[in-house]
Amino acid sequence: MIPNFLMFCAMLSIVFLVIALFSKMQLLKEAQGKIIRLDRSLEEMDEQGKLIMRTDMELNKTQEALDKKISGLNTLQKLSHSIGTTLEENQIFKTIAAEYLEELGFERCLACLWDELTKQFQIHLNIGYTDPELAKIKTTLQEDKKYYFSLVHNGLTSSSLFNPPDFLSKEKIKLYFAANSFIISCVLPKEGSRGFFFVGTQNMETRITEGDCELVTILANQIGQALDNARLFEKAWKSQQELEVKVEERTRQLSQAFEEVKKLDKRKSDFISSVSHELRTPLTSIKGYASILLTGKLGNIPEEALERLKKINRHSDELVHMVNDLLDISRIESGKVIMKFETLSLKEIMEKINDLFAEQFRAKNITFSYQLAEHCDTLSADRSQIERVFINLIGNAFKFTPENGKISVNVKCLDKNIQIDVTDTGFGIPEDAQEAIFEEFYRVENPINQEVKGTGLGLTLVKHIIEGHHGKIWVKSKIGQGSTFSFTIPTN
Amino acid sequence: MKVSLGFNESKDYVQAVNEAVGEATIGLQNNLPSFAIIFTTIEFAHPMVLKILNNLLGDTPIVGCSSLGIISGKKIIRHGFAIALVSLGQQTFFNASCVKEISKRTPLKTGEELGEKLLYGCRDVRRNFSLIFSDGLIANPGQLFNGLEDKMGKSFPLIGAAASDNLAFSKTFQYFNKDVLTDACCGILWGGKLNFGWGIEHGWKPLGKERLVNKANKNVIQEINGQPAIKLYEEYLDKNSLELSKDLKRISIFYPLGVYLPGENKYLLRNITAIKDDGALITQGDVPEGSNVRLMIGTKESCLTATKKSCEDAQKRLFGVKPELIMVFNSASRFTLLNKQAAQEIEIIQQVFGPHVPLIGIYTFGEAAPLESINYLGKTYFHNQSICVLAIGADK
Repeated sequence: MIPNFLMFCAMLSIVFLVIALFSKMQLLKEAQGKIIRLDRSLEEMDEQGKLIMRTDMELNKTQEALDKKISGLNTLQKLSHSIGTTLEENQIFKTIAAEYLEELGFERCLACLWDELTKQFQIHLNIGYTDPELAKIKTTLQEDKKYYFSLVHNGLTSSSLFNPPDFLSKEKIKLYFAANSFIISCVLPKEGSRGFFFVGTQNMETRITEGDCELVTILANQIGQALDNARLFEKAWKSQQELEVKVEERTRQLSQAFEEVKKLDKRKSDFISSVSHELRTPLTSIKGYASILLTGKLGNIPEEALERLKKINRHSDELVHMVNDLLDISRIESGKVIMKFETLSLKEIMEKINDLFAEQFRAKNITFSYQLAEHCDTLSADRSQIERVFINLIGNAFKFTPENGKISVNVKCLDKNIQIDVTDTGFGIPEDAQEAIFEEFYRVENPINQEVKGTGLGLTLVKHIIEGHHGKIWVKSKIGQGSTFSFTIPTN
Repeated sequence: MKVSLGFNESKDYVQAVNEAVGEATIGLQNNLPSFAIIFTTIEFAHPMVLKILNNLLGDTPIVGCSSLGIISGKKIIRHGFAIALVSLGQQTFFNASCVKEISKRTPLKTGEELGEKLLYGCRDVRRNFSLIFSDGLIANPGQLFNGLEDKMGKSFPLIGAAASDNLAFSKTFQYFNKDVLTDACCGILWGGKLNFGWGIEHGWKPLGKERLVNKANKNVIQEINGQPAIKLYEEYLDKNSLELSKDLKRISIFYPLGVYLPGENKYLLRNITAIKDDGALITQGDVPEGSNVRLMIGTKESCLTATKKSCEDAQKRLFGVKPELIMVFNSASRFTLLNKQAAQEIEIIQQVFGPHVPLIGIYTFGEAAPLESINYLGKTYFHNQSICVLAIGADK
């Protein structure tokens, strides 16, 4: 029994072992399957990783290019603003600061302009070069000036990305300017000396792109335009300075001349005044004696002598009248006459004038009329002086108006003045004499003046009286159509 | 401890140095400077600069290096000079030293020699950390730090910056007392009652399958997964070797190689600086044979997130101590990548530490600092494309 039982147990164990083995093999198979799947997943993930990395690289590149572009444009905008607002040639280059340059990715910069006098390129801006380095560059610029001159002449751009075939090799430029990457762009103002703008970097990382070249070219163009503006401004400024000097000189000369004229005028006034005073005394005596003789109190005078005495008396009156006018003009000019302003009725003055000339008007059959605008019938002026103005103007009008003519006075109110027009239907005044008639002793050449005597002082006196009232006088006239003398008197 | 900073952007180096030192001296309020750390852009790498400095500062030790740009609390200075005058308290001390002509030794030997020099007189005192400024163009900068660790201790924090130039990759400069040096490294050991914290981050994420470096020698990776190393980039970017070479700097910044650090559970970034004719990749910093690598991908946003994280890590490690000085060693690649957004990093740093904490920093060709570690402070690694923030404060 026991051996059978043991046999049974052994068999059972074997069966269990086989089952366990089978089960383990199943698990192993499953694990192998899992490992294969994991390995596949890992491979797939690795491939995904590659895709991620490639995409990331492209994204980074795009982002970098975009950042660079934005940064460059931003810097260019700032630079353009400062360059554009500078109107001094040397200041233009000073506005290009190292910080701006670094933002564009460069730490070295030169701006060279051709100097016609020395026949070489002069360095106007240096950023990043030491004095010994600059001295070397100056030497190479001089030695190879024909290449740079040709580059500027043709308006080309040279860079470590693209170099024109006839220009110096990239390697030479890199060596001369001690830069691993560079851009040389032409500065081409329309007028004056031209040149080139160099930017470079020693940074091995920097790689020049077309975008960089575009930015630097725009910057060089901006410099060119700014140079044009500065030069134009300089020209305009110089011209203005010259003009200012000329104007100053001319003003000084005119002032001197004016002072001379004033002096002469005063001397003339003084002379007239003193001569008039000196004349009046003997004239009064002459007139006095002539009047006494004419009365016959000193005995009968022969007819012929009487006739001559009357002439002496009349001419003495004329002389006294002239001397008085001259004295009045002189007094007004020198400010010795004080105007006594009062409110005057224009209607009253007109009536007075009408009465004064009534007999004469009738004799020549001249129609006199006056018209006062509404609310314009008073005047603030010196009564005696303004009456002299009317007497002179209307007297003149009467003198030059033929028979059956018309004389009218028209009064109107302006903004701050009263304007009075005295119009006649007389001979008129030639155009070239219309200003001169207000000058002393001026007399228009016409048949009336040849017949009728006058001093040539009446209108001068009128002008002085009007100006003494802060007013103005002028004349409008046409030959054969009459004249209108107009004057203004301020309302207050 | 008292720290005062001076910055100047004048192109005239005499004026720049005088004004920056003047500004820093005034800020120090009659305290004598223990030492000075200077950073300059490449135009200021001139013996006259050091001569003027020595005239102004007397015997005050000077260390520093050149850079693509200087980070201040206000802006990124592309041309200028910066100085940090540090006046240490009574229970704090320092030792500054320098090793010239790295190329005549090996980076490892240089590191060992500098370690020895820095430890001189400081073996039996509390040592906190060392600041190291090295030539940014040496082949195996990682070895330099290995050498330093060999002498100063495997878990002694080393915070380093590889000097940079204006991205011409032609010459970088290190400053030590009266000398303007190249092919050199200098450093300061800080010790005594000090508190400090640091954070280092890059912000890049791995993408795709992990691959094995079959054959590599120092900073040259010959084979990955049994194929020429360049195949990795060719496959992922669908470009041939020539196209990759043309666009290498950009590709290297956007898609660096990530070397997996098993103990740290992090990736160390490596920039590709050149492609050899046989398809081998030359990296900025060494890649050990047998290491697992992946291609990394990052964005400006992830970059800025990393800045915040490194600041937070530095602050966390200060354990509540108020920082007296923030030093930033930021990758020049990050500056290129962030471009106009680079200044945002300053804002982030000030958001974490406050706007008035003195802040000084530079852009580097490599950064060195320990990563987070299970062990005490951790091994120092040479990083690429990372930002290292060091916060220093007085003892509680």
